[in-house]
Amino acid sequence: MQPTARVASSTPLRRLAVHSTTTCAEQSVAYGKCIVATYTDVQKDSCKAEFEKFGACLREAVRVHAFLTCVQLL
Amino acid sequence: MLALRHARRAGSHTHARTFAAVSSSINPSGVGPFQVFDRNAKRLQKDRAVARDGGERSRTVDYVRNEVADRLMERFMDIKRKFETVLDLGSGAGHFSKLLEEDKAGKVTMLDLSGKMVERDPDSEFEVAVDRGVLDEEHLLQSIPPNSQEAIVSCLSLHWVNDLPGVLVQIREALKPDGVFIGALFGGDTLFELRTALQLAEVEREGGISPHVSPMANPRDMSNLMSRAGFTLLTVDVDEVRIGYPSMWELLDDLRDMGESNAIIGRRHFVPRDTLAAASAIYQQLHGEDAGVPATFQVIYMIGWKPAPNQPRPLERGSGDTNLKTVL
Repeated sequence: MQPTARVASSTPLRRLAVHSTTTCAEQSVAYGKCIVATYTDVQKDSCKAEFEKFGACLREAVRVHAFLTCVQLL
Repeated sequence: MLALRHARRAGSHTHARTFAAVSSSINPSGVGPFQVFDRNAKRLQKDRAVARDGGERSRTVDYVRNEVADRLMERFMDIKRKFETVLDLGSGAGHFSKLLEEDKAGKVTMLDLSGKMVERDPDSEFEVAVDRGVLDEEHLLQSIPPNSQEAIVSCLSLHWVNDLPGVLVQIREALKPDGVFIGALFGGDTLFELRTALQLAEVEREGGISPHVSPMANPRDMSNLMSRAGFTLLTVDVDEVRIGYPSMWELLDDLRDMGESNAIIGRRHFVPRDTLAAASAIYQQLHGEDAGVPATFQVIYMIGWKPAPNQPRPLERGSGDTNLKTVL
């Protein structure tokens, strides 16, 4: 599936899927690596710093997407 | 809107759902097998899966069931007998029944929990005559008389049954003497990648876990369950189907379209976005391969016969008249 085609599909969960795997791939990998490094003894918030960056990227991506949608509607 | 949703639910189903966990009536103080799965929710999930895009989505995700049906058919063909009737229990859209040939079976009866699922595909796709019906596998003997069936087949439906030993006993009861039961069901390693990714994500993000992937039968227990249910001449074997997906999200979509979403009683009805995104990242890093992520479906195949006097059986102990010592 083409990433552009997926951005166009519009349910919120679809958008989250695209952003978490494509737009924020770098932060996603960093977070995943952190978990894999400690996965026999994962505690709450053991990769908090990495997830915060990932989460910030996701929120930014959703915001930009919303903005673009508005522009298209105009 | 909310009121309307409730009214519609109450109209089409006898159980009106209020907010959360259980959609079928479960009596906690009653005696009987422990209830793990919400059968009513499972029926709704299957009905909805078939209704999505006029059945198109449901047909697209037939690949797991078709593959397993094919492998089950190989085992079925090894039985050198022609059956007048075959009962396909939990048939889905007839993935197994479609493969039946006329020299093997005269007629097939497809029964499934979901009426929409069982009616999905037209008769023209089947080689043998088809009969369809709606039946809850857990109450097989309420509709099928004992000692009435030559062969009962079940392809990937028994993993949603609460009382597996009880259903196996009912199947044995429904069979004629010397009748055969041949089945495939998902085993305990199924979707272990998804299970671990969601558990790690929930622990790290929220500090606890909840059930997302069903508990499933352990392959080592199956032969015990079969012999306890009274089957003889058992064959049990285990196989895996591995499917690659671009990411966890496509797997979740396809599971939903298969009607295989979570139906555990007490499941979470809402998973926070953060946890899902975290699970997707962990799935990729922990199990990912170059071109995406794999999902494993472990399948247990079993064959068992209802005892009959004319079946081959071991000779009496000590009745041999050749001394093995002289042969070896």
